[in-house]
Amino acid sequence: MSAEFLKALTANRLGEGDVVFWSGGQWVEQFADAELFTEEGPAEAAVALAKAQPRIVVDAYLIDVTRSDQGVAPVSYRERLRALGPTNELGHGKQALGGAAIAALQAASGAARSTGRLDLIRRK
Amino acid sequence: MYRYDAIDKEFLTDRSNEFRHQVGRRLAGELSEDQFKPLRLMNGLYLQLHAYMLRVCIPYGTLNVAQVRRLAWIARTYDKGYGHFTTRQNIQFHWVKLRDAPDILDALAEVDLHAIQTSGNCIRNTTSDPRAGATAEEIDDPRVWSEAIRQWSTLHPEFSYLPRKFKIAVTASAKDRTAARVHDIGLALRQGRDGTLGFEVMVGGGMGRTPFIGQTIKEFLPATRLLSYLEAVLRVYNRAGRRDNIYKARIKILVSSLGAEEFGRQVEEEWAQIDAARADLPDTELARIRAAFIQPGLEVLPAVSDSYEAARGANPALARFARNNVSAHKAPGYAIVDVSLKAHDATPGDANSDQLEAIADLAERFSLGDIRVTHEQNLVLPHVKQSDLPALFEGLVAVGLATPNINLVSDIIACPGLDYCALANARAIPVAQSIAQRFLDADRAELVGELKIKISGCINACGHHHVGHIGILGVDKKGEEYYQLTLGGSGAEDASIGKILGPGLNADQVAPAVDRLVEVYLAERQGEERFLDTYRRIGMTPFKEAVYVDAH
Amino acid sequence: MSTLIKYTANGATEIENSFVHVVDGEPVPQGADIIVSLGRIKAEGEALLASGVRVGVQIEPAEAVEDLAELLPRLALVAVAFPKFRDGRAYTSATLLRQRLGFNGEVRAVGDVLREQAYVMTRCGIDAFVPADGSSAAEWSRAAGHFRHVYQTAADGRTPAYAEPGRR
Ligand code: HEM
Ligand code: SF4
Repeated sequence: MSAEFLKALTANRLGEGDVVFWSGGQWVEQFADAELFTEEGPAEAAVALAKAQPRIVVDAYLIDVTRSDQGVAPVSYRERLRALGPTNELGHGKQALGGAAIAALQAASGAARSTGRLDLIRRK
Repeated sequence: MYRYDAIDKEFLTDRSNEFRHQVGRRLAGELSEDQFKPLRLMNGLYLQLHAYMLRVCIPYGTLNVAQVRRLAWIARTYDKGYGHFTTRQNIQFHWVKLRDAPDILDALAEVDLHAIQTSGNCIRNTTSDPRAGATAEEIDDPRVWSEAIRQWSTLHPEFSYLPRKFKIAVTASAKDRTAARVHDIGLALRQGRDGTLGFEVMVGGGMGRTPFIGQTIKEFLPATRLLSYLEAVLRVYNRAGRRDNIYKARIKILVSSLGAEEFGRQVEEEWAQIDAARADLPDTELARIRAAFIQPGLEVLPAVSDSYEAARGANPALARFARNNVSAHKAPGYAIVDVSLKAHDATPGDANSDQLEAIADLAERFSLGDIRVTHEQNLVLPHVKQSDLPALFEGLVAVGLATPNINLVSDIIACPGLDYCALANARAIPVAQSIAQRFLDADRAELVGELKIKISGCINACGHHHVGHIGILGVDKKGEEYYQLTLGGSGAEDASIGKILGPGLNADQVAPAVDRLVEVYLAERQGEERFLDTYRRIGMTPFKEAVYVDAH
Repeated sequence: MSTLIKYTANGATEIENSFVHVVDGEPVPQGADIIVSLGRIKAEGEALLASGVRVGVQIEPAEAVEDLAELLPRLALVAVAFPKFRDGRAYTSATLLRQRLGFNGEVRAVGDVLREQAYVMTRCGIDAFVPADGSSAAEWSRAAGHFRHVYQTAADGRTPAYAEPGRR
C-alpha cells in the first residue's frame, strides 16, 4: 500500500494557543492556506525550522492529509477538529469563518463518521 | 463560608506574581517548553486542541456570589462567554491565551480564587459534598476538614512532585456525593462510640485505564490526627510509588501490588514516627476553621410553607422541578436546590456568562449567597427558603437552568472529549446530547428514575465512565469514533466498576442502545429498584441480548 | 569547579565547591573533600572517614536515607540527587534527614536542580544547591523566598499560616 505522501505542518501559537499551519516559512490560521508537502525532505526541513522557533509556536508536528472529492483534508478526525473547532459550538473556532474551504472540511468529517444503524450490529 | 484573611490573600498575590514572572520568562525564551510545561500545569494551564485551557480551582466546590460573578466576567472577557464545570468541582475555560493567563490569575485572586494545583503531580483540589452544611444527613461539616486539607496541601514542599496526581475526597453522609471510593484517598467521617469524630480512610481508588475501588486501611482515624496520617500516606507513596511508567504511577497501583493490608501497615509504621505536635493541626486552628463554616442568616421557619405548597399544586412544571431538583434541608422551612447544567441541547457542565450572573443574583436573593458545584457537573443552591422556591424557579427558567432532571437519564456526565481535549479518542458531548434528545419525554425519564450515565472521550476516564450505571467510553477504531458501553458501575457508597456490555458501537448507535437498555430495565424491575439494582440482580445477559438483538 | 549556592537565613551566597564527586570504582583523590555513594560509604566508610578529609554521601532517589543514620554525625554533607526535577523522592529524603534523623550539616541538591524548585527544596531543609540552569545566588534567593507565607510545617521550621500572629 503506497499511499501518496501528503502532509501539512501544524502547531499552536505559543502566546495565544491558536492552531496554525505552516506555509512557506509563515504560520497561517486556516488549513486551506497550509502548505502541502509531497516529499519527506522538505516536510522534515520545515519541521526543523518550526522547532527552531520555540518562542513562536509549541508542539509542531506533521499531519497526514488526504485528497477526496471535497478537496484536501487532514486524515484524522482530531486534526479536522483542530482545523475547524468544536462540534458542540459551531460558532467557535476556525469554522466560524464559514466559506467553501470550511464547508469542504466539514463535509470530509461527515464522510468519515459512520452512519451505521443499531440493527446492523453484529455480535462477534 | 471560609473567608480569606490577609495571609491567604498575600499568598495568592505571591503565587500570581510568580506565575507572571514565569510566563514572562517563557515568552522571552528563557525557559524551554519542557521546563515551562510543568509550571503552567501547576497553575492549571493546559494546551488543548484549539487553545490553552485554564482550570480554576473551586475548593471543595464552594463559591460565593462575587466569585461566580468574576467567573462570568472572565468567561466573557478572556474566553468565548462560557465555562465548563468538571467532575472535580472545578471550572475550566477552554479558549484562554497564555499571554492573558497572568491577568486572569490576578482577577481570580481578587476574589480569593486561583488555579493552584489544578494539574500536575501534586495534591489536587479536595472533593467534598455539595450539600455540606445544608443536609441533615451529615455527621459533621466536611468543609472544615477539606479546608484543613486545602491549607496543608497548598504548595506542600515534600509532596509537590509526586509520582502522579493525587486526589482526596471528604464525605460526611451515608449517601456519598463525592465519589470517595474512586479517589486516591477517600475520607468518610464517622462517629465513634464515644461520640468522637473520626475518618474511615480508603486508599487506592481511581479510574483511568486500570480502575480500582479504594480499600479501607483504617476504620477509625481520630479526626484530629488527620494531617499526620495523610502525611504518612503521602510519604509512603512518594517513596514507593512507581516513577518508571506513568500508567502505573498512581497510588492505586502501589496499593494493589502491595495489598491494602501491607500498604496500611507501612503507613502505620511511618505514622508512628511522625511528631504529632508538629504535623497535626492545633485544636485552636480547627476551631477557627470550624467557626468560619457556621452558617449565619438561617431563620426559624415553619416546616412547611403554605404558599409554596399552593404554588406547587397550581404549577405542574414547578411540581416536577420540586420532585427532581429540590431536597430536604436540615433547617425547617428550607430546601436544597439542584441546578442542572444538563438541558438536552446544552453541553453537560457548561454555563455561559449570563447564566453564571443569573445564578449569582439568585443565590444572593434566595440562597444566602452560597453556591456549590457538584462532581456531577451541576450547581447547588444550598439554603433556599421553601417560600422562595416559586420565585427561584421562575428565575432559573428565565435563563434555561430549570431542567428538572437531577439523577435522571439525561443528567449525564461528559468530559470535553475530542471537541476540546488533546488526549481524546472520540467526542463525548454530542453523545450526551443524543441521549438527552432521545429521552426528552420528562414523564418517561421520571418513570425510569435514577440512572447515571457517564461518558469519557478516552480511557483517562475524566467523565467517570467506569462508575456510570451506564458508562460510555470513546475509542478510536481505525480513525472512527466508537463507543464501548459498560453496565453496573457506581461512584457512590455502593461503588463498583462497570463491566463491558459487548462490541463497541458507533456514535449513532449509542442513544438507541441506551434506550434498549432502559426498556429491559423497565420490563424487569421489581418494586423500587433503580436501573443499577436491577442490573445487579439480573446480570448482563438480558441487557446484552437486547442491544445486540439483531446479531446472528 | 561548579558553582555552589549556600542558602541561609541571611540569604544566598555563591561559594566555591570544594568537594569532589567520586564515581564508584574510581580511586579516591588524595587530600580532597569527597562525596561518595551510599554503597561506597557502607563498604569503605571507616577508611574514608579516617583519612582526614571531609566526607559527604550522595543519596539517590531510590535509596533509604535512614541507612545513613549512624554515620550522619561524621558526615560533612549529604547530597540528595535529582536525576530529573520531576523525581520528588529527594524531598522526602531531605525532610527525613532534618526532621527524623536530626542532621544539621549541609544538605545539598545535585542533578537537575532548577530555580523553579528553589522554594520547595529550601522548605525541605536543603541548604546548598548546584544549579543546573546557571542561576545566580540572587536569582536563587528571590525564587526561594518568594512566598511571604507558608501553609504547613516543614523541615525549614518556618511558621505556618495558622501560627502566625495575624491569623484571623
Ligand atoms: C480537557 C483537558 C483534560 C485533560 C488533558 C485531562 C487529563 C487527564 C488524564 C491524563 C487523566 C488520567 C490520569 C491518571 O490516571 O493518572 C485524567 C483523569 C481524570 N480527569 Fe481529566 N483531563 C482533562 C479534563 C478533565 C475534565 C473536564 C474533567 C471533569 C469533567 C476531568 C476529570 C478527571 C477525573 C475525575 C480524573 C480521574 C480519573 C482517575 O481517578 O483516575 N478531567 N485526566
Ligand atoms: S477522558 Fe480523555 S478525552 Fe475526556 S477529558 Fe479526559 S483526557 Fe480528555
